[in-house]
Amino acid sequence: MKLLKNLLRSPSFVLGMGLFLLTLLFALFGSLLTRVDVNTRVGLAYMPPSSEHWLGTDHMGMDMISLLVAGLRSSLYVGFLAGTVATFVGTLIGLYGGYKGGFVDDVLTVGTNLFLVIPSLIVLILLSASIENGRSLTLIALIIGCTTWTWSARAVRAQASSLRGRDHVALARINGYGTVGIVLMHIMPYLLSYIFMVFILQMATGILSEASISMLGLGPYDSISLGKILNEAKTNEALTDGAWWAFAPAMVLITVIVFALYIINTSLEGVFNPRLRK
Amino acid sequence: MLKNYPTLKHILGRAGWYFVTFLVAITINFFLPRLGDANPVDTMMARVSGGLDSASAKEKEEAYLKEFNLIEVDDTGKVQRDAQGKPVRTSLPKQFLNYLGMSMRGDLGTSILQHPKRVSEIIRAALPWTLALQLPTIVFGWLLGNVLGALAAYKRGVFDRVMYPLALLASAIPAFCFGMLLVYVLGIRLEWFPAVGGYDEGLTPEVSWAFFSSASYYYVLPFLSVFLIVVGGQAIGMRSMCIYELGTDYVKYAKLLGVRESRILFYMFRNAMLPQLTGLALALGTMVGGALITEMIFSYPGLGMAVLTAIQGNDYPLITGCTLLVTICVLVANFGVDIAVGFLDPRIRAAQRTGK
Amino acid sequence: MATPIFEVDNLRAHYLTRFGQRIQAVDGVSFSLKPGEILGIAGESGCGKTTLVSACMGLYIPPLHLSSGDVRVEGKSIIGMNIEAHRKSVLGRQVAMIPQGALNSLNPTRKVKQLATDMILSHDENADKKAIHSRLRERFQKLGMSAEDVLNAYPVQLPAGIKQRVVIGISTLLDPRVVIADEPTSALDVSTQKSVIRLLFELMDQGIIGSMLFITHELPLLRHVSNNIAVMYAGEFVEVGTIEQVIFDPRMPYTKALMGSMLSAEAGHRGDKPVSIEGAPPNLAYPITGCRFAERCPVARPDCKQNEQVIRTVAARQVRCQYAE
Repeated sequence: MKLLKNLLRSPSFVLGMGLFLLTLLFALFGSLLTRVDVNTRVGLAYMPPSSEHWLGTDHMGMDMISLLVAGLRSSLYVGFLAGTVATFVGTLIGLYGGYKGGFVDDVLTVGTNLFLVIPSLIVLILLSASIENGRSLTLIALIIGCTTWTWSARAVRAQASSLRGRDHVALARINGYGTVGIVLMHIMPYLLSYIFMVFILQMATGILSEASISMLGLGPYDSISLGKILNEAKTNEALTDGAWWAFAPAMVLITVIVFALYIINTSLEGVFNPRLRK
Repeated sequence: MLKNYPTLKHILGRAGWYFVTFLVAITINFFLPRLGDANPVDTMMARVSGGLDSASAKEKEEAYLKEFNLIEVDDTGKVQRDAQGKPVRTSLPKQFLNYLGMSMRGDLGTSILQHPKRVSEIIRAALPWTLALQLPTIVFGWLLGNVLGALAAYKRGVFDRVMYPLALLASAIPAFCFGMLLVYVLGIRLEWFPAVGGYDEGLTPEVSWAFFSSASYYYVLPFLSVFLIVVGGQAIGMRSMCIYELGTDYVKYAKLLGVRESRILFYMFRNAMLPQLTGLALALGTMVGGALITEMIFSYPGLGMAVLTAIQGNDYPLITGCTLLVTICVLVANFGVDIAVGFLDPRIRAAQRTGK
Repeated sequence: MATPIFEVDNLRAHYLTRFGQRIQAVDGVSFSLKPGEILGIAGESGCGKTTLVSACMGLYIPPLHLSSGDVRVEGKSIIGMNIEAHRKSVLGRQVAMIPQGALNSLNPTRKVKQLATDMILSHDENADKKAIHSRLRERFQKLGMSAEDVLNAYPVQLPAGIKQRVVIGISTLLDPRVVIADEPTSALDVSTQKSVIRLLFELMDQGIIGSMLFITHELPLLRHVSNNIAVMYAGEFVEVGTIEQVIFDPRMPYTKALMGSMLSAEAGHRGDKPVSIEGAPPNLAYPITGCRFAERCPVARPDCKQNEQVIRTVAARQVRCQYAE
């Protein structure tokens, strides 16, 4: 498709997509790199990298690489799920409010702004702290999705609102189409590329939020995530011991994924909105 | 009457809205932690009831229940009892009202971990540290970031090509990652700066030169780890805004009229600042969150540390107290930015004047 | 003969794209204006009109570059000057432009008064603010606007017609010798168009404007604006003459085709069906031999594409066509 060709011509897209795919590959096939199961103790705590264990061991003597792969999978999963939920909720609210306008729009906007101003991290902390048991990855992802949707709601609403006045929408209304029909057939198709961009950013937000909440110690209690790896490194004094392999790789992974997603988003913006192309 | 002072009307309107938001926030703050089965009294009992016989345990439990306002007391302070002699539990709505009343008076309850220290006391000690870290970081970071972004958009060339990827990287690195990196590289490996704490261990907080200089030394790393990221993020945004402004029709027209370059730059900056300021309001919540986590990484004695230790110890009153305060700070800051935008954006002022 | 107030002498200007291509958007345009004269320039989009505007003002901002030629105002060249000197003495003072889309040309966050003051101060730093304000009030009053209200308003508060007047007012504040109006009426309704044109005439009569170049793609409009008209195609003038000549008796095949492609409300022509011109203008990135219109010309002959076409005088006007008569 012409779109794909245009995208591939943009160096930032290639870079971002490349990085992201690399991490994805690592998540999916990284376990082939190690011959060890995640939960087995393979050595002493904080053993430096060796030929046997390329990234050493963590505070419990487990192989770092397997931990990283498992953590990466969790983080990506949370990012994806949270991003989907946030985009879905936000788009729904944004589309409805933006299209309807008037009182409905005002109410939804006030509500959105309300949740926009109240820091999502705070809500995350409060929610996670209250759910002592059963903090699974999925639950955390859902919570993150439900607290970070405000941004997409605002963005989509602005777009939907500007489309509302278009002729084809008025025509559809005259022809008797209901709200749902109009929104699905006449407004959303124009917004698909925009919604996709929003999704990318929401995914990045999801990954960051999960990492933040895990850093605080409110992460999933039954699985490893990248944030949890960092948290354990901190609480077990990996920093002061100089055991860089316990936290640096996780840090790099998080940064790389988020950076890749941001760049993909920027390049998408450049392609979808030609005015920005210099 | 108010019609004569449109600006005042605007401010009052915004203040009203923020008050409503505050009410919502405090409601969330109260109800969310109570979603689970966590009960502060049970936690306390678990800690102290070892070795007590059942009668004194019950007495202690009642004392705690009373302290945490979970049971009804009559005016003389005696516990009300039901038919079986058990203390009457306060209903949830009543607890909420009590909570509201107490918070308005500045009483945020008692900490569990640091019992019998009151939450407000702990917060009062921690707040200045957080403010000292957050305010300059966000304010100066925002300013510097915007200036750099504007320069990059205007000058382009080498400056832009170097600055842009750096800023993009800086904005993508999560605050805590960067913080950990700085701690490790500058704090532990190179030992240029202290890795942990807000001030030298031997000192106590006081208004003295020795303390101040020590605190400043410990301030550098936490400050940098948030500051640089804010600068990066703002620079990227401002750069796009300025590039857009430079391509607008009115800039083209001004150039054709022969308007001085310095004036055109002023137009560009002024017009690009407005959405940046609005963006600041939106980003405040995130920035504050990032700074809080940074405090935890550096064991900096601010609200972030307080929240961390509170979470680790299931100290619910402290958690809710801190979150409430952080929310209040963010709301106040948002309100400030809102007012500032109202003053700076002539379009809003014009709309006010014509009565919108 | 009076010295022409504005002379454009074989002007050629090109764009240098990022990939190193050179697009010769203006390729040898010459004309001159006497004081009080209005020349209309008409052409399709892409013929080089907009580039001509920048080129005539001496404003060469990359990727636009001057290839060759000269532009003179009252005998003095405005090309090749130091940028700062050019900005101060030429732009707005000797040559001013009234932009297309005046609606977006005003900075939304500045009051009209401030924009006008910025313009004046940019040319004369030491001007007294009070004097400026009274001058503005006087001028805007003359232009038919309630000066106090308009000057203190933000562009967003003004209706479209007033905004257009404001733009005209600001552009002509320093009494420019030459005004280039680049499609000033394209976004307006018919009655506003008429009042804008009337305003421009008044300014000319009062000597505020020395001469005018009126650029448009709407030929019917030019009838009410100028005496002389030049038709532009692919970077060149292809026919230059009076309104009667060019519009009602075109000799160059392109002009004929252009006239034929328009709906006419003229008596006797109302039933004429418009005929669109096949094909598209040539790509100016590549050198062109012979007539540029030959590809689409209905009466082209084989050697049209080989011979360089020069301006000849045919039927008392100038035509760039070897076989026109």
